[in-house]
Amino acid sequence: MKKECVAMLLAGGQGSRLRALTSRVAKPAVPFGGKYRIIDFPLSNCVNSGIDTVGVLTQYQPLELNAYIGNGQPWDLDRSDGGVHILPPYVTEGDKGTWYKGTANAIYQNMGFISLYDPDYVLILSGDHIYKMDYGQMLEHHKAREAVCTISVMEVPLEEASRFGIMNVDGEDMIYEFEEKPKKPKSNLASMGIYIFNWKQLQEYLIADEADEKSANDFGKNIIPAMLSNGERLAAYRFSGYWKDVGTIDSLWDANMDLLSVHSGIAPYDTEWPIYARTPTRPPHFTGPNAVIRHSLMTGGSVVDGEVENSVLFHSVTVEKGAKVRYSILMPGAVVREGAEVSYAIVAEKAVIGAGATVGAPPDPEHPSEDWGIAVVAEGIKVGDGAAVAPKAMVTRNVKGGGAK
Amino acid sequence: MTNKLHGILFAYRSNPQLRELSQPRNTCSIPYGGRYRVVDFMLSNMVNAGISDVGLIVHANYQSLLDHVGSGKDWDLSRKHGGLRILPPFGYADKRRDGDYRGRMDALAGVYSYLERIRQDYVVLAGGDVAVNLDLDDIFNQHVRTGADITAVCTPVPRGDPRESDYFTVDENSVITDVSVHPINPLGCESMEVYIMSKDLLISLVEHCIAHNIPSFSQGVLLNLGGRLKIMSYCFEGYAARLQSVAGYYARSMELLDPAVRADLFNPLHPIKTKDQSNPSTYYGPMSLSRNSLIADGCIIEGEVENSILFRGVTVERGAKVQNCILMQGSVVHQGAVLKYVIADKSVQVNAGRTLMGHETYPLAIAKNAVV
Repeated sequence: MKKECVAMLLAGGQGSRLRALTSRVAKPAVPFGGKYRIIDFPLSNCVNSGIDTVGVLTQYQPLELNAYIGNGQPWDLDRSDGGVHILPPYVTEGDKGTWYKGTANAIYQNMGFISLYDPDYVLILSGDHIYKMDYGQMLEHHKAREAVCTISVMEVPLEEASRFGIMNVDGEDMIYEFEEKPKKPKSNLASMGIYIFNWKQLQEYLIADEADEKSANDFGKNIIPAMLSNGERLAAYRFSGYWKDVGTIDSLWDANMDLLSVHSGIAPYDTEWPIYARTPTRPPHFTGPNAVIRHSLMTGGSVVDGEVENSVLFHSVTVEKGAKVRYSILMPGAVVREGAEVSYAIVAEKAVIGAGATVGAPPDPEHPSEDWGIAVVAEGIKVGDGAAVAPKAMVTRNVKGGGAK
Repeated sequence: MTNKLHGILFAYRSNPQLRELSQPRNTCSIPYGGRYRVVDFMLSNMVNAGISDVGLIVHANYQSLLDHVGSGKDWDLSRKHGGLRILPPFGYADKRRDGDYRGRMDALAGVYSYLERIRQDYVVLAGGDVAVNLDLDDIFNQHVRTGADITAVCTPVPRGDPRESDYFTVDENSVITDVSVHPINPLGCESMEVYIMSKDLLISLVEHCIAHNIPSFSQGVLLNLGGRLKIMSYCFEGYAARLQSVAGYYARSMELLDPAVRADLFNPLHPIKTKDQSNPSTYYGPMSLSRNSLIADGCIIEGEVENSILFRGVTVERGAKVQNCILMQGSVVHQGAVLKYVIADKSVQVNAGRTLMGHETYPLAIAKNAVV
C-alpha cells in the first residue's frame, strides 16, 4: 500500500570513536540512559510522528541490533503493512552488490525497498543522535516550502560551528550553501543529519551520483551539494529542543548525565512523547539497608547496597555494600563488588569490578590534564580485586587483581 | 514438553476482605510486587512450562484484568492458533446466569463448549490469585510418570486463611487420602488449588458435577470421588502468596523485601512477565534516601523511602517520608507528607504536609484515585 513517507535509518556505522563499547555491536545498539539503546530515539520519534514504515540499514556488527529490533513490537512497528525492516547489503544477479559505500549509496541500494511503498517523501535518519522530534511537523514545513529537500538544523554557538556541517540560509531559511566544518563559519545553523527528500527527485540524484565514480556517495558531501548547484529548493527546518550527537565516549557520557538534569530538556518523564525500548521484565530494583542513592537513575532488577551518586544504572546492576559509584554509567548486568570505587567511568554490560578495585577518578580542577578522561570497561571484562584502572583507560582485557593497569 | 498441556486460569474470584483494593477489580488483577498483577505469576508459570493455549475464566469486575492482559502479547500468547482466550460468563446464552460462579465446577460448566475444543490431552487448572513461581513442567512430568488421575499441588507451609483453603492428608506414597475443605484449623498440607488431569477426565468430571449440581471442585471431585480416583500430591516448598485480606496483602508484600523470597519468586530462569509500559528509569533527587525498599521504574524520588514497595511512576516529593508503605502505580506523595503503614492504590494523591498512619496489623488502605 502507498505510504506518504518512509523513514530510512542509517544504522551501519561502526562508531569507532566509541571503541570498547562498539567492538561487538553497532553504535545504534549501544545502551543509553538506563532503559534504552541509542536507536530507540529515532525509532520512537518515527512512531510518535505517525511514520509506520521504517527501513533500518545495517552493515557493521548487525546481529545484536537485528535481535533487538526483532519484529518491532516494542515500538508498535509490528505492522501487517509497513513496520520496521532490517536492510543489510545484499548480492544481486551475477554476484554483483557491494557493502554500503556511503550514506547515499546505502539508500541507492535500497531504492527497491522504498519503491514498494511508492512514497511521496523519504525521511533519512541516523542512529547516533539523542533527541525528541516530531518529523510530522518537519514534513509539513517541507511541503509548505515546496522544497525538494528539507534539512533540520539547530543553532549552535558560533565558536563551535566549525565542528559541524553548516547551512547558510537566506532571509526565508532557504539554503543556498552548505559547508562541512568551515574554518570561518558564516552561520550558526548546524545540520542535524535529518533529511526529508521528495522521493521522485531523490531517485534521480541517487542514480546520477552512483554513475559518478569519483563520488563518495555521501548525502552531505555529494547529494546536497549537487542539489544546490542545480538550483533545487532546499529548506532549513529549525529545531530548538535537546539534541546530542553521542559519537564519542565523552559525548555519550555527557548525554547520559543530561538525563539527570531537569534543565537539559530531554524530559525522560514526558508521557506525551514516550521513548520505547525492548527491555526484559525484571522485578523492581532493591535498595539495601546501607544504600545511599543521590541524583541518579536506577532501573529494574538492580540491587544497590552501596553509594551511588550522579550516575545512571541500567537493569540488573549490582552495587555491593561499601562500594562507591560516582558520575558513572553502569550498563545492564554490571557488578561492582564490595568496597570498589567507580568514578567518571562507563562500565559496559556484565563487566565485573572486583572488591576494593578502583576504576577512573574525578578530574582535578586545579590541574586539568590531557591524561584525564572517562574510563571505560568493556563488556564482560573482569577487573580483579584491588586492581586500579586509570582515568581515560579503555579496558578490553581482564585486569588481574592487585596490579595497576 | 511438546504442547500437551492446556492452561485454565480461574480469574473470577473476589475477596471482600481486600476491601478498598478489590473495589475496582477482582483479586487476580490486584497489583503486587511493585510492578505485577497477581495473575502475571500463574500466567507466566504456564508460559514458562511451554503452554501455548490458556483459557482465562472471568466473571465480574474484569475490566481491569482485560486492560492488563490485552491480547496476551506480553506473555507471547497472541497466537494464530490458540494463545490466550478470555472466557466471560456470557459466551453461551443458555448457560447465562445471574450472580457469581459458586465454584470452579460452576465456572467450568459455564465454558463447557470451550473445554470440548481443547487441542491438548492434558489440562492444568490454576487460580490467578496466587503469586508463586511454580515449575508446572515438573509437575506435569510427575503426573505422567506416576499415572495419577489427578495431581494436586500442595504446600507444607500453610499461608492462607484456613476457612478459605483446602488441606490434604498425604500418605507415604504421596497419595492424597483425605481432604478437608475450608476447615477451622489447618490439617496437613495446604492445597494450592493447582490440578493437572487429562482433558477427558476433566470433561467427565464437569458433567458429573453438572448432573449432581455440585459447584465446587473440592466438594464434587476431591471429596466425593476421592475414593475412586488416584489423586496424587505434588509438594511445593517454595514461596507462595495468597492475597485474601488487606492485612494479608500487606504482610505478603513486605515479605518481598527478603532477598531469599525474591530469589524464589523472581527466579531468572522462570521469569515473571507483565504488561510492558515503557517507563524510563527511576530518578533519585539530590536529597533523597531509599533504604530496604523495592522501587519500580519511572518513579521520581526526592524524599525519603524506607521499608517500602513503590510501583511504577510513583512520585515522592522533597521532605516527604514514606515508611513501611505500599504505593501503587502513579501515586503522588507531596512535600512534607508523612506516610506510615499505608497502602495507597493507583493514582492516590497525598497532599503536602498530611500525616497518614496505619499499623502493621491494620494497614491503612486508600482507594484508587483518592485525594487525601
